[in-house]
Amino acid sequence: MAKRKDECSFCANGGGLPLRNQGFSRRNFIQLAGTGLVASFFSDVLSPRVLYGQTVAPSVALHNTAKNCIFVFLSGAPSGVDTWDLKEGSWTPADFAPTSYLNGAVRFPQGLMPKTAEQIGKLSFIRSGMAWAAVHQLAQVWTQISRSPTGATGAIAPHIGAVVSLESQLARTPADVLPAFIALNSGGIPAAGYFAAKYGPFIVQTAPTGLSTLKHPEGAARFSTRWNFLHALDTNRVTGALAKKSLDMDDLYNQSKTIMDDPSVDALFSFSDADHIRYGSSDFGDGLLVAKQLIAGRKGARFIQVTYGGWDHHSDIYDKQAAQSLYAQCGEFDPAFGALMTDLATTAGVTAGKTLLDETLVVVIGEFGRTTGALTGQGGRDHYLRFPSVMAGGGVKGGRVIGKTNEKGDAIVEYGWAPNRDIRPEDITATLYSALGIDYTTMRTDDPLNRGFEYVPGAKYGQYVPIEELF
Amino acid sequence: MKWILLGASLLLMAASARETCPLGPIESAASRQAATYRAASAAAEAVGRRRAVNPGQTPAAANFIDTWTFAKMAKDGVARTTISSDQEFFRRISLDLTGVIPDSAAVTAFVNDKTPDKRARKIDELLASDAFVDRWTMWFGDLVQIVLRSNNSVLYYQGRNVYYNSIKDSIRANKPYDQLVREVIAGKGDSWAAGPPNYVVRQLQPNGPPQDTYDNLASHSGEKFLGMPMLCLSCHNGLGHLEQVNTYLKSKSRFEFWEMAAFFSRTTSRVIRNADPNNPNSRKYDVQDNATGSYRLNTTDGNKSPRAPVNGQDTVPPAYLFTGEKPAANESYRDAYGRMLTADRQFARAAVNYLWKEMFGVAMVEPVNAFDLNRLTGTDAQPTHPELLEELTTSFIAGGYNLRSMLKTMALSNTYQLSAIYAPGPWSEAWVPYFARRYPRRLMAEALLDSVVKATGVPVSFNVQGMGTLNKAMALPDPLEARRRPEGLFLDDFGRGNRDDVARTGDVSIAQALSVMNDTIVTTRVRQATAGSTVAKVLASTTDRGSMADQLYLATLSRSPSAAERQQAIDFLNGGTLSQRTEDLQWTLINSLEFLFN
Repeated sequence: MAKRKDECSFCANGGGLPLRNQGFSRRNFIQLAGTGLVASFFSDVLSPRVLYGQTVAPSVALHNTAKNCIFVFLSGAPSGVDTWDLKEGSWTPADFAPTSYLNGAVRFPQGLMPKTAEQIGKLSFIRSGMAWAAVHQLAQVWTQISRSPTGATGAIAPHIGAVVSLESQLARTPADVLPAFIALNSGGIPAAGYFAAKYGPFIVQTAPTGLSTLKHPEGAARFSTRWNFLHALDTNRVTGALAKKSLDMDDLYNQSKTIMDDPSVDALFSFSDADHIRYGSSDFGDGLLVAKQLIAGRKGARFIQVTYGGWDHHSDIYDKQAAQSLYAQCGEFDPAFGALMTDLATTAGVTAGKTLLDETLVVVIGEFGRTTGALTGQGGRDHYLRFPSVMAGGGVKGGRVIGKTNEKGDAIVEYGWAPNRDIRPEDITATLYSALGIDYTTMRTDDPLNRGFEYVPGAKYGQYVPIEELF
Repeated sequence: MKWILLGASLLLMAASARETCPLGPIESAASRQAATYRAASAAAEAVGRRRAVNPGQTPAAANFIDTWTFAKMAKDGVARTTISSDQEFFRRISLDLTGVIPDSAAVTAFVNDKTPDKRARKIDELLASDAFVDRWTMWFGDLVQIVLRSNNSVLYYQGRNVYYNSIKDSIRANKPYDQLVREVIAGKGDSWAAGPPNYVVRQLQPNGPPQDTYDNLASHSGEKFLGMPMLCLSCHNGLGHLEQVNTYLKSKSRFEFWEMAAFFSRTTSRVIRNADPNNPNSRKYDVQDNATGSYRLNTTDGNKSPRAPVNGQDTVPPAYLFTGEKPAANESYRDAYGRMLTADRQFARAAVNYLWKEMFGVAMVEPVNAFDLNRLTGTDAQPTHPELLEELTTSFIAGGYNLRSMLKTMALSNTYQLSAIYAPGPWSEAWVPYFARRYPRRLMAEALLDSVVKATGVPVSFNVQGMGTLNKAMALPDPLEARRRPEGLFLDDFGRGNRDDVARTGDVSIAQALSVMNDTIVTTRVRQATAGSTVAKVLASTTDRGSMADQLYLATLSRSPSAAERQQAIDFLNGGTLSQRTEDLQWTLINSLEFLFN
């Protein structure tokens, strides 16, 4: 059974005050925030960047090196010691072909993931990662909302992509017709939490012909007839005689029409057979391909999640005959990820002289790790809290290795970053927010619990922080 | 029909019932105030029963609900709108009570019915329908979060189904709400053989000590059944935390929360592995109560801050947080908790507040799980209508926690029957909590899909493991069903949530607009070529364009078109290939805001 070694991660100061500063009531906070005293009074406490719609200068230095994020979520928990933190032993299949990279800093199973191996100079490895729970859905949600689902704000917490979506709202232009948070092949993930639904994930199942609901099944001419008659007949759209939300719905109809009418949007969700093959001919590959197209298309999509399950290798992890062996999983992951990295690195970014990879943070992460050393009696690996992850692009320097585990991979030798402790999912989020220029110390005061909603919750550590060593 | 008669007679009794008031002077003040209105409201109710409603007229009070809402409007100078038309009322009450629009024949029959009490009889008819059972089982399932898989636990389909069916049977039988809640709180036995034990199984915490599970059960039952944010206290005292959140709970301590959680400290859930030969990973539980056991203060891990002895005391005996009451001798801890919880006036108050939100769109206390017992009345009162909330609470208790009876009381009020159209003049959003008009909201996901099905006449089917084929979304046992199917994605788009970390929402989104316009779930159903479609039937029935328009309006919007709309529709039908234009007309009506909102 997985046990959390630390106390409540959703209250600051180890179960102390949620408002982070003892004796300081929220009501004061709001009043002060309106008086212009914020910067001087709060400089060492926190300065929410978005407080009742106001933009406040960040209280901490942010990297602000990324414009976008592609969040590759490997649900089911991939084995770390077979992939990002390879540990060689009698169990290691010969055809993994372990190879040294980065002057020996990284040993990587070149035989298992040859295309990814070609990209290693662009990747940074986080090896001192530690999950809070080894229970799949709990830890999956934990990673995606950056806090305990069981905790105080667990039930109202938005997905981290929804936070990115809300934070990117002010910078949107009329050309940004797409929702900022798009989740590809990712049904059932956390959503907008207490934020408005528009900040939640726009969930799309990829298909060569694109997003089915972007096209009217009866054809454009019929749609035009229908749309025009709808707007002639439905006077509530003009008078607003129904509820305010009905007018919001009317706005969303108009936005939807804009998306439908923009042929370049349709093209972002569609893909050619050649590209489908280049990305490995899988749903996962299609997801990464569409993610790349959405980022390159510059239509407002800022945070793209692609989810890929099937990594729960309790048995037959090395059995090539097994449908979801590590070979099968990596066989889909590898060509897709290699093609993504290649495409991002060779596509021009928005800023002159930058590539799309320079402007896009790529995160590859699961919810926890798997047991190390020799395989279990079932030829698999069971749940384990220690787990590595990978980041690239968006200001993250390639070729860095954060942390070092022992020979077996079951204990830490060096944490490899300034706080000198385990790197938690919340630290990964702080890193992601910092790269995207989002103040990870923000606490919103508009939550329905009237408690305060922290973008990254407090910890016994005082604060989860970005992994500065990556930048 | 017995419960209706019982409910009605108890309702009259409620007006004179003496309240028992656990909170002392605060509520006594409210009840004294209430008493001054009581005679007037009883008289108004009597008038309301005799008099037919008058669509288009500004109504007088029909029962005590109106007495309070109209008085508040009068006091603050907010004019109420006129009474809804029969068609508007019928569509509304059908959606609110049964989660689906009425069919054309029923609308016609209702309009043609000239008897003065037809609205009341329609309410009774809907309350007695199978569709009511589906819709309110969905409501209770949302409340207790019946779901096959959640972050903490898996019930498996066997457990989920038996749980769902037990709730459905209880709703059908009109089991008193307090009894229903006592049963789930104290549920015992094999979690695949009996429904109630699944309430405990759902809250089992997999990554912590058993105290985490006790805490889950206390905070979940407190939040859902008392409408209070108990979770806060599971980690820390109220003092220093909750001053700005909840003035009542600020005075409560984590120790007092543990005393609540201690009611679950003798409950054990013994896992039975490989319970399903077809699923070697499956597990069910045998939930029982031990004769001994206590809440120990001895943890340093899990999901809560450490539990350490307080003044040398390392075990916590159970005590009800609001009264300090302890279990009786030989009373099982969970039975005692269920008894005290359901006898708490706040239990009834929270329930009434939930029901009000379902019927009126906005609760009197929002959020519904944030009751502050120190602010039930007075200048800083939390409820929009403190006296009304108390009178409804008293009525609910006196009526035997009768869900149908309470819904009927609400539906019979003229406040409920006001039109969505604000006749007195320009509308201000600030008047929403006055209930000065019907304030429409977007149809809940399942109601929308089922209404598309009903309007178009083209059925839908869901295969649910262990339940066979279901032909309506509202009958699904949980919102994870059909997740990967187009219908499931459609329901997800409309915010059915997951009864865990994604709450049901009435928000609107781009995905929703795109779905209604372009999803084949809608577009194939309006085709003439689709077997049994309303469009095909209309085209086969007549060539008269006006009649076609009438039929499609009635089938889709549950009303007749206005003269102007009728002419627009006729012109449109004449403007192109008739079969296509007929399809286009129903598509247009389904995409109209009026269809999407209620």
